[in-house]
Amino acid sequence: MKNPYRSIKTEVLKVTTETPTIKTFLLKPGEKLTFRPGQFMEMSVPGVGEAPFTPSSDSEIKETMEITIVKVGKVTEAIHDLKPGDTVGLRGPLGKGYPMTKFIGQDVIVVGGGVGLAPIRTLMYGLFHMRDQIDKLVYRAGCRNPGELLYRSELEDWMKRSDLDMKLTVDQADEAWNGPVGVVTTIMDDIDVNFSRARAVVCGPPIMMKFATFKLQELGVKDRNIYLSMEKNMSCGFGKCGHCRIGPYYCCKDGPVFTYDMIRDYPGIWE
Amino acid sequence: MQYPLDKAESGSYFFFMIFLKHADLDELLDSLSGDYHVYVPVNTARGAGYTRYRGPGTDYAVGGIRSFDPLKSFYFLGREKVAEDFKPDIPRKNDKPPCMVGVKSCDLKGFKILDFVFIDEEFGDPTYMKARRDGLIISSDCTAVGENCFCTAVNLNPWPDSQFDINLSPVDGGFVVELGSGKGKKLVEEYSLLFRNVEDVKLDGAVKENRKAVKKEVEVRVAEKNIPAYRRLERIVTKQYENMEVWEESSRNCVECGACNTVCPTCHCFLLYEQKTDDKFARFRVWDSCMIKDFARVAGGENPRARLWMRLRNRFDKKFNYFPEVAGEIACTGCGRCIAACPGKIDIREVLARLEV
Repeated sequence: MKNPYRSIKTEVLKVTTETPTIKTFLLKPGEKLTFRPGQFMEMSVPGVGEAPFTPSSDSEIKETMEITIVKVGKVTEAIHDLKPGDTVGLRGPLGKGYPMTKFIGQDVIVVGGGVGLAPIRTLMYGLFHMRDQIDKLVYRAGCRNPGELLYRSELEDWMKRSDLDMKLTVDQADEAWNGPVGVVTTIMDDIDVNFSRARAVVCGPPIMMKFATFKLQELGVKDRNIYLSMEKNMSCGFGKCGHCRIGPYYCCKDGPVFTYDMIRDYPGIWE
Repeated sequence: MQYPLDKAESGSYFFFMIFLKHADLDELLDSLSGDYHVYVPVNTARGAGYTRYRGPGTDYAVGGIRSFDPLKSFYFLGREKVAEDFKPDIPRKNDKPPCMVGVKSCDLKGFKILDFVFIDEEFGDPTYMKARRDGLIISSDCTAVGENCFCTAVNLNPWPDSQFDINLSPVDGGFVVELGSGKGKKLVEEYSLLFRNVEDVKLDGAVKENRKAVKKEVEVRVAEKNIPAYRRLERIVTKQYENMEVWEESSRNCVECGACNTVCPTCHCFLLYEQKTDDKFARFRVWDSCMIKDFARVAGGENPRARLWMRLRNRFDKKFNYFPEVAGEIACTGCGRCIAACPGKIDIREVLARLEV
């Protein structure tokens, strides 16, 4: 019998400070550990605790993975204290992730907000790997201010891609910012795709996900084609501990990516 | 000699009955103690509670009503080490499996839910699965009715009809034995000196009479409490889902102690936490309670069930909607333990009656 509670011993190779509260950790699992875009990992600091995170690196890179983490609680505080050479635990991959095959032959709109840009980074790499199989690719991302924009130099490289329609916005600009200002829904009006067939992916803070979903509906994207990365309290990560239930689903086991039509009728989905 | 077959296997009733004398049960349990941790129900001031069988002097009673401690606590421990360091080993994997004696129908129904949750190929809970696979269940008919019993309201009988290895129906001088599994059949064959085949119509009559009398008494109590009909339970929880007043009214006295979750034979929610001792660390699985405010709160602070009434509603939704939808079973066994345990005197029977308007 397998032990689903056991973590794989993992070395922290590199710590990158993204913002005062966000760091990216480059990790090297001691055993083979691969994942698909949108799947998540339970990362633990030995003896302190465990919490769920979605990797932010290219899932085609098999030896290492990156996870971008905001400092918000006990476990993430301990994670932020980690240095290269330290040991952590990884358990996973968990959940179903993004249904990449559903994007084949379709226009794809990706909408990201704040630290939601982390899982989306993995998704974007996945989409770039299959770029010739999808039609138009649109990326709209926003965050509170330019200082909180994750992977900025990488995003600037992506801006130059001719096969990607990309725009970034911030809620509050600084002197150096010369892009749009406003919440992410304000840069969605010029999206030019076949909305009735397009697939949309939304990942970000709950309030942003809610309004981005409404905006996509308004644009004509079907509820069944809106993929949402839900955030719920997840402890075990495989549908046993009971914390993350949404109606007949567990966010961990059946998600964390759900189409909006699956979950729209259940209470508290945006909280 | 021909042994009567398990009903489930043969699909037919048999003429002979198997009889086990009181003293022979002691001998059986003595012998089983070699391979199992044997637990028996012992009468205490709080009612029947499980304790380790310690030889023929152990003062236990097989009949009566369900124990105050739920059966799950022997298969899915309240606090249990599930992993140590980064080792793939399963802790306690060499422990003897449990042999539970005098298990009642309501607790066996709990297995239908717990098995659904914990047994699966990829992420099954190893200690639960091992205890279920290797454990032995010697169940029994109820011979009394507790003040909070309402099993007939959830379509159960006060005697087991499945999920046991052997069942004991108390009669004068001993028990009429029923086989419920291949493992039970093997046990009876192995201890054929203790289990005797008898041809006694009176014994059969005594078993039926007790069952009928106990069931009748439960039904009277169920009627007194105006519990909605079984087939309506799922529907009324759905229908009243948006009725905030009824959930607020029902949750008013809740003090968020989580006792209802702790004693419930189907509540399975848990939390994983880590503990460090010197150079080692371990991961523990501890029972959790959906009535506690932080149960669904995420690290960012959002809480989908911030209000108490939402959490009570969620508890009912899980038992009367979620499990019927995903597992085809209502996750209430009518054991009434939550009624006995609640310091706020919240009575699940009264809540269900209130939902039926």
